[in-house]
Amino acid sequence: MVERKKPLSGVRILELGPYVALPLTGRILASLGAEVIKVETNKVLDEMNFIPAWSRGGGQPEFQRAKKRVTIDVRTPGGLEVFKELVKVSDVFMSNFRRNILDRWGVDFPELRRLRQDIIIMWQTGLGGIGPYYTYKSYGILVQHMGGVSLMSGEEGEPPATINTSYSDYHTGVFQPVAIMGALLRRGLTGQPATMESSIFKSGAVTAGPSLLDYQSTGRLPERIGNRDRFASPHGVYQCLGEDRWCAIAVQTEDQWVDFCKAIGNPNWCSEDSFSTMTARLENQNRLDDLVGGWTLTRTAEDVMECLQGVGVPASVVSQGKDLNESLHLKARGFYQKTPYYLADRGNPAYDWEQFEGIASANPPKMSETPMDFGHYSNIGEDNDYVFKEILGMSQSDVDKLTENQSLY
Amino acid sequence: MPFQAPAEGVLLPPYRVLDLTGPEGVFCGKLLADYGAEVIKVEPPTGDVTRQRPPFISDVPGIERSSYFLFYNTNKKSVTVDLETSEGQVVFKKLAASADVLIESFPVNYMQSLGLDYDSLRQVNPGLIMASITPFGQTGPWKDYKSTDLISLAASGFMQITGDPDGPPLRQGNEQSHFPGAQHAATAIMGALFYRDMQDGRGQYIDVSMQEAMITYYTDAHPALAYIQRGENVTRVGTNSTLVIPLGAYPSKDGWISAGIITPREWENLSNWMFEVTGNEEILNEDYKGGNQDRAPYNDIITALVIDFTTRFTSEELFHQGQERNLVFIPVNTVSDLLVDPQLDASNFWFDIDHADAGNLKYPLGVFDSEEVTPTTNPAPYLGQDNEVIFGELGLDEAELASLRTRGVI
Repeated sequence: MVERKKPLSGVRILELGPYVALPLTGRILASLGAEVIKVETNKVLDEMNFIPAWSRGGGQPEFQRAKKRVTIDVRTPGGLEVFKELVKVSDVFMSNFRRNILDRWGVDFPELRRLRQDIIIMWQTGLGGIGPYYTYKSYGILVQHMGGVSLMSGEEGEPPATINTSYSDYHTGVFQPVAIMGALLRRGLTGQPATMESSIFKSGAVTAGPSLLDYQSTGRLPERIGNRDRFASPHGVYQCLGEDRWCAIAVQTEDQWVDFCKAIGNPNWCSEDSFSTMTARLENQNRLDDLVGGWTLTRTAEDVMECLQGVGVPASVVSQGKDLNESLHLKARGFYQKTPYYLADRGNPAYDWEQFEGIASANPPKMSETPMDFGHYSNIGEDNDYVFKEILGMSQSDVDKLTENQSLY
Repeated sequence: MPFQAPAEGVLLPPYRVLDLTGPEGVFCGKLLADYGAEVIKVEPPTGDVTRQRPPFISDVPGIERSSYFLFYNTNKKSVTVDLETSEGQVVFKKLAASADVLIESFPVNYMQSLGLDYDSLRQVNPGLIMASITPFGQTGPWKDYKSTDLISLAASGFMQITGDPDGPPLRQGNEQSHFPGAQHAATAIMGALFYRDMQDGRGQYIDVSMQEAMITYYTDAHPALAYIQRGENVTRVGTNSTLVIPLGAYPSKDGWISAGIITPREWENLSNWMFEVTGNEEILNEDYKGGNQDRAPYNDIITALVIDFTTRFTSEELFHQGQERNLVFIPVNTVSDLLVDPQLDASNFWFDIDHADAGNLKYPLGVFDSEEVTPTTNPAPYLGQDNEVIFGELGLDEAELASLRTRGVI
């Protein structure tokens, strides 16, 4: 039986680089059927294997599964040769190393093109690959502040609002597959390869579009209005029963206000003139928020959500880890799936990777004809034999020799 | 549709994409339009509601002047059809027969109620790729729940980890809930097009839940996994980390500067620099040395010393001088800073677009910089500006168009 084709069947992608955005791009393309070869080395491990919030590596399957993982130390002559052989048989090369590091390793762009004339290059940086910040070092969790969004969040005069994650990385990680597939299509139709440069800075800044146009036109900076809305009230998060439990409520129309009042039992204040229209509610929203908060405080966040959604008023529990993990809705859609992950003792240079079980998110797009692969999460170096022997046709003794001198390790 | 090559300097072939989305999906069509697809915004005859959304250019209201509409619909065309009339549905089916992709973000089952769901449309166009972007997806017990930007930020858990630990969960500004689903949908659409045209495949239907897409946008925090592994609910840490010291935003002489010290070497460089500048030996304390979490017990004293240091510099000084010492200080920008940023200027990020009502403005379009391909730069469309050409191509003659117009169908 012939295996059913996937969207990117027959496309081979070489991925070189750590952290979030670039590996996420590789993982999405792998889930669409590309053969993504992640090159890493036991000597210089991706820092993401040790992020504490993941219990040292628990979240790695989000970014690394569905790929072939090989260990090649590109800094050794033997490793560099093997790497170059892989370039020759790949359709796409993508990296997030600074360009001067790639140059030092002898894999600059002209060399890549010399090895494979029509290779597509996606080069991702934090702040930008060309221009004045070309050599600058950066961290994704900080670059979220550069794109302008943290000064559109929170309240006027307060410190910039931060999301406790490397947020802007994800914009980049999900932009890049679109560009790479576009370039593959274009190459298929015109024979022309492309070199594309992306940065976490630009990916964040592009989302500020309407505010950028408004500033140019009126000189006005974005308002910081916290959880409120310019056109709707009540609108915010309200504390509920339990520790750190909240429900978000957004009443956007007069009809929803009537339904909201009915759902909460039409307390006297609902019929006050000061809340009778949206304009009035917006004017008196401090007091209204206190009254709504008084109603939610004696109820669970789940009860508040169900009570209001029951009459079509937008409301949601502010989901915590427990809520997401136990959500019947996400379960019904098969969102979280089981996966192994691997834990290394950083103090032990042999890196005996121990296997544990965890969970990872399914691919959000549900495609009817070509469901995206969840994929197997290989351990580091697990696919060495397949890649070196089957793809490159190396002999066992060649592999042994290079492994012994730690070119492949 | 005949499968054509992209034009010179353009990334995508001129795929015809029908964009029926509201704010939940509008960015998906924009991405495809900016990179060369023929994206047609299908609007009700009264116009897309976001045309009414303030702020307006120069604060003068008008359906061609909304900053929001102008940005999110750059490079799109516009036709008007009343999908709730049977004549409108006939016209729309003809349009769908000519399209490669359809994107919509209506409530679940709305398209079906019009007879315009995927199963009906693929009868007229088996190659059609249809993507639905909705708050909770097409299936599951929450599929009909109502949502807004705030509600989606809450349901996905984004808010749980944004803001100050002593305050309520905080909404991220800029309608951030509208990006993850739209971006994921764009990847799936590209995959589906590649499958259809390069692998001899068929069209297909794509269901994107904004909630799921958003959860995948913060998987380095991964609350569900943290709960399973340690029984903990990941929460807000405020502007500054309490584990990694220093990590976060600190006041500078002229605003805010963010800083992150991750490696032991970075700490050594920073502490030496701080001593040089402040003369305070406390920062050189042996107890503070080490990896990124080794300073957690000394958060208060170290943070105070860091602020004493950062407030002696402007944000720009710290940004550039930090790099000379292999330290990461990143300015906290607002939109006016972006417009004068030399890096964005140097990497083909801005494109001038002249719009008859909005004038000539700089648009941020260059997500990727490439010598071979650049974004297209057509202004957002006037309401129904492409009716004659596009409906004409479908075989509707002048008399039919006039009649449909009179009766408010287009």
